[in-house]
Amino acid sequence: MKRMLMTLGAVLTIGVAAPVSAIGATPKDVLVIGKAADPQTLDPAVTIDNNDWTVSYPAYQRLVRYESKDGKGLSSVTGELADHWTVSADGLVWEFKLKPGNSFADGIPVDAQAVKFSFDRLVKMKQGPGEAFPDDLAVTVVDPLTVRFTLTKAFAPFLYTLANNGAGIINPAVVANEKNGDNAQAWLSGHTAGSGPYQLTAWQKGQSLTLEPNPDYSGPKPAFAKVIVKIVPEASARRLQLEGGDLDIAEDLPLDQVQALSKTAGVDIGTYPSLRVTYLYLNNKKPPLDKPEVRRAIVKAIDTGAIIDGILLGNGKAMGGPIPDGMWGYDPTITPVTADVKEAKALLAKAGASGAKLSFALSDRDPNWQPIALAVQANLADAGVTVSLENLANATYRERLGKGEFDIAIGNWSPDFSDPYMFMNYWFDSSKQGLSGNRSFYSKAAVDDLIRKAAVAATQDERTGLYNQAQHIVVDDAAYVYLFQKNTQVAKRDTVKGYVFNPMLESIYNIDTMSKAD
Amino acid sequence: MTGLSGVPEGVPQIRRGIGAIDWHRLTWQMRRSPLAVVGLVIIILVLIAIVVVPAWLPIDPNRINLRARLAGPSWVHWFGTDEVGRDILARVLHGGRISVGVGVFVVVVSASLGTMIGGLSGILGGWLDTLVMRLMDVVLAVPSLVLTMALAAALGPSLWNAMLAIALVRIPVYVRLARGQTLVIREADYVKAARVFRATPLQILRWHVAPNILSPILVQATLDLGAAMLMAAALSFIGLGAQPPAAEWGAMIAAGRNYILDQWWYSAFPGGAILLTAVGFNLLGDGLRDIIDPRQKARS
Amino acid sequence: MSFLTILRRRLGFLILVVIGVSLITFAISHMIPGDPARLIAGDRASDAAVAAIRQKLGLDRPLYVQYGLYIAGFVQGDLGTSIRTGRPVAEDIIAFFPATLELVIAALMLSVLLGVPLGVASAVWRDRPIDHAVRSFAVIGISTPAFWLGLIVLLLFYGRLGWLPSGGAIDPLISPPAHYTGFDLVDAVIAGNAAALVSVVKHLILPAATLGFVHVGIVARQIRSAMLDQLGEDYVRTARAGGLSRSRVVLRHALPNAMIPSVTVLGLAFGDLLYGAVLTETVFAWPGMGNYVVASIQALDFPAVMGFTVVVSFAYVLVNLLVDLAYIVLDPRIKEIG
Repeated sequence: MKRMLMTLGAVLTIGVAAPVSAIGATPKDVLVIGKAADPQTLDPAVTIDNNDWTVSYPAYQRLVRYESKDGKGLSSVTGELADHWTVSADGLVWEFKLKPGNSFADGIPVDAQAVKFSFDRLVKMKQGPGEAFPDDLAVTVVDPLTVRFTLTKAFAPFLYTLANNGAGIINPAVVANEKNGDNAQAWLSGHTAGSGPYQLTAWQKGQSLTLEPNPDYSGPKPAFAKVIVKIVPEASARRLQLEGGDLDIAEDLPLDQVQALSKTAGVDIGTYPSLRVTYLYLNNKKPPLDKPEVRRAIVKAIDTGAIIDGILLGNGKAMGGPIPDGMWGYDPTITPVTADVKEAKALLAKAGASGAKLSFALSDRDPNWQPIALAVQANLADAGVTVSLENLANATYRERLGKGEFDIAIGNWSPDFSDPYMFMNYWFDSSKQGLSGNRSFYSKAAVDDLIRKAAVAATQDERTGLYNQAQHIVVDDAAYVYLFQKNTQVAKRDTVKGYVFNPMLESIYNIDTMSKAD
Repeated sequence: MTGLSGVPEGVPQIRRGIGAIDWHRLTWQMRRSPLAVVGLVIIILVLIAIVVVPAWLPIDPNRINLRARLAGPSWVHWFGTDEVGRDILARVLHGGRISVGVGVFVVVVSASLGTMIGGLSGILGGWLDTLVMRLMDVVLAVPSLVLTMALAAALGPSLWNAMLAIALVRIPVYVRLARGQTLVIREADYVKAARVFRATPLQILRWHVAPNILSPILVQATLDLGAAMLMAAALSFIGLGAQPPAAEWGAMIAAGRNYILDQWWYSAFPGGAILLTAVGFNLLGDGLRDIIDPRQKARS
Repeated sequence: MSFLTILRRRLGFLILVVIGVSLITFAISHMIPGDPARLIAGDRASDAAVAAIRQKLGLDRPLYVQYGLYIAGFVQGDLGTSIRTGRPVAEDIIAFFPATLELVIAALMLSVLLGVPLGVASAVWRDRPIDHAVRSFAVIGISTPAFWLGLIVLLLFYGRLGWLPSGGAIDPLISPPAHYTGFDLVDAVIAGNAAALVSVVKHLILPAATLGFVHVGIVARQIRSAMLDQLGEDYVRTARAGGLSRSRVVLRHALPNAMIPSVTVLGLAFGDLLYGAVLTETVFAWPGMGNYVVASIQALDFPAVMGFTVVVSFAYVLVNLLVDLAYIVLDPRIKEIG
């Protein structure tokens, strides 16, 4: 009781008398990351959201990881848990030799059994991340440090899928936390059980997550004794906290805020070209958009340059074709279309679609979608096309996309693994129509043929050639309106050193090799 | 005598029962209630601003001008511009039509439906009355924003659905109010007399009950106008209400929140507009209640 | 009517509310267009994979079976598994609900502490400037959009002045007190953790003040009206005539009697505050139900939305039941009948 009274007394004196200083730089061995929303689940076999990966990615290791060179993240991969690997001539059998000496946070070594356990679990659960892997994947333990994957069909991008968050290797000991046959999903949703440099030690729901170093991590000892992920939903508050030094990194800031921050002393804005593409789906199955001339007219009418300058404040790169710059297979000869209202009108008149009325579906998932939609609405109005905007709840919006109940819709796409397959095969294969990827409901036998060949071809040269042919066809068919690849902007305190951006790892920080200067 | 139409004859004095409106007395009393007058003046000014002014203000609230984005208040744009260069003054004025319109719609729908249900329930009594009241209790037991959020999410986010949802949530308030008053009036001799003459429940409601419960309903409705408007703004703020490019005050604040540090005018003007209008309705409703409430009338 | 009869009847109503509310929410959440199985599987999953998940979740069963299973689970304290987080809904609610309750109670206390004196002053000096001032303040309170006010005070007290933290319930760099009750404030006091307590209090001020601001006016208005009723009563006049001082009559006699009917208003205010809390929390990063439920609605997380609605409604009815019982105990007139 006395203690309670003393505590109350302390509050009254300290809390009222002393002003709370907002300028409190965080300690040198603590990194504080400000996030807009609480992660949902940390289970590698369940989460498909980069917002969750900030926490789960550094907690697990994978067979391979993305390389970086001179402070720049690359899309090529190198071994992480794997020392080296071999692949059979037909591309069906992959054998990985593991590095010895890697351990989970409870000291148990990472072996072939753990790899098998993780992939079996992933394939069995069949949730979001499992989709990137062939569903006929067979995993066998050859010896404690050798694991073999057998596919029934060649799948050229297989190696790249192994660097995914979903391919994280989980400690088989988690089965002790299994409830009602849920594969320990409820437990792994809120805990981590990996061999990565950091482990989750506390999660105050809706408020903060604390990561601390894994004592058994085999790599060099990380600089931060604690990494705190703080949930700050209000963008203006995130900016203020970064300015005040309460945050070291602030995520998801609106462009205008970033621009204002770039003039703030002590704040450092990194701008990096990303592989996140914003584009418009044109429903190829629904008249009048089933006619290529009408689609070409829409492409011609939209002033992408003005959208990038006006809405992205120049922080984007206009696209001409489906494969973005920075991904192998990108063709610089396919240049972005320049807007031409007259030509758009002429094309529409030729197709007998002048004065068409189209719907435009969007959701509030991305704050830029609404201004883009408004700009597109105005552009198309100039060409005589009336566009009505439908702002839907995200779930409803996705359902409409899946069923093809829209004329025009807007979307973002980022690759799960670093292979043009993510763009070409998902967007244009007629068997992937709907939400799975081909959201324009595009269908052409010649393209199907080319991209399916490219998915199994042995060499990258051969694959590049096939994808290139396909790109020229689909661009001519105006299957989508390719708007831009957005720049990723990372706002951080200038004391934070060693951050490496990798376009494949948005919202993921290399916290094991980052540090803070005095 | 009750005529064929159910109009009571020869009992004019019952029109001025416990809750009837005495317009003469009302205007006289209004002068003694400065707050109510302030409220009334605010409402009249707001109505002029949103109904009359946009008619001759030559600015399209939805015209985009990316070159003039986020411009501060100036002679060209009195309230500044938003992130795609639309004029905020024009949007606030047009948005007012939506925001105030929502309030009016919600109140008219919920007050008329609620009064009807409550009145009939009170007149009929019995198990039907019990059933209706239990149902209303259940609806009242759910926090109103949650129910409106769930309904708006179920029906799809649109202003229309948000309005329906808010109206639905407000109905029980009127049902209770109307029923309470009806139970008192039901026992009055003239209503008993009307029953003897086989007036239908609807006729009793129309000719005997409604005139007598009108003023408490009116007071409640005036107070609700502000509340309904705020609720619609709240739904729009979390993305379940008005949809783009419609200018609605709550939606404008929601969009402006990301610019509040450098472009204060974006959310300040719609916010101020909501505040002013809600103050107007609430002052008026408060004043009316003071004047009309029989308990307080006795002492004034 | 005896106390017990009232109690029994009200408890019966509580059950009715749970059934009614769960039925309404269940119906609503299944009217929502969109497929939760698709959300789990991810956009890029095949239809077969989605169908498999739908079957696993039991979403392919007839609605009445799903509802029956839900109620059966509910009786055993099982609110189902959240689709979004993969954790039991009950666990999530236990993690989030105390914070909301803490905020609501703080706001309620604030509104009573400020609202009662204002209401008394307003009644005692009726139609004087102070009355107009209090009533204007009350009107401005209920007319202010809480979400907008929240943004403004956040900018002022954190951004400009730097006096108070910008959000959250406790500084993440301070080790939080052990969980005894789930209420950070109470836990910090029990643990005798001064640093945590200071941090918790600082974090609580802005959201509680924002939320309470609206209700100061409501409480003041209610007290004013009840006080006016009391001041008009015969006993007040008798007491005054008998030579008791005005302040003594007002504070010792009229106020306690005026408080009794006002107690029921607190129960109703609790519901309004819960509604306000949802909006305030989103602005102040308060780790309560607000952000959780908005995210759940957006993700079509039926079990989470239902669990939230049922639990909140249950709490609301329960609070009102307690308030009514307190009223019966407090009010001598009702006791006489019982």
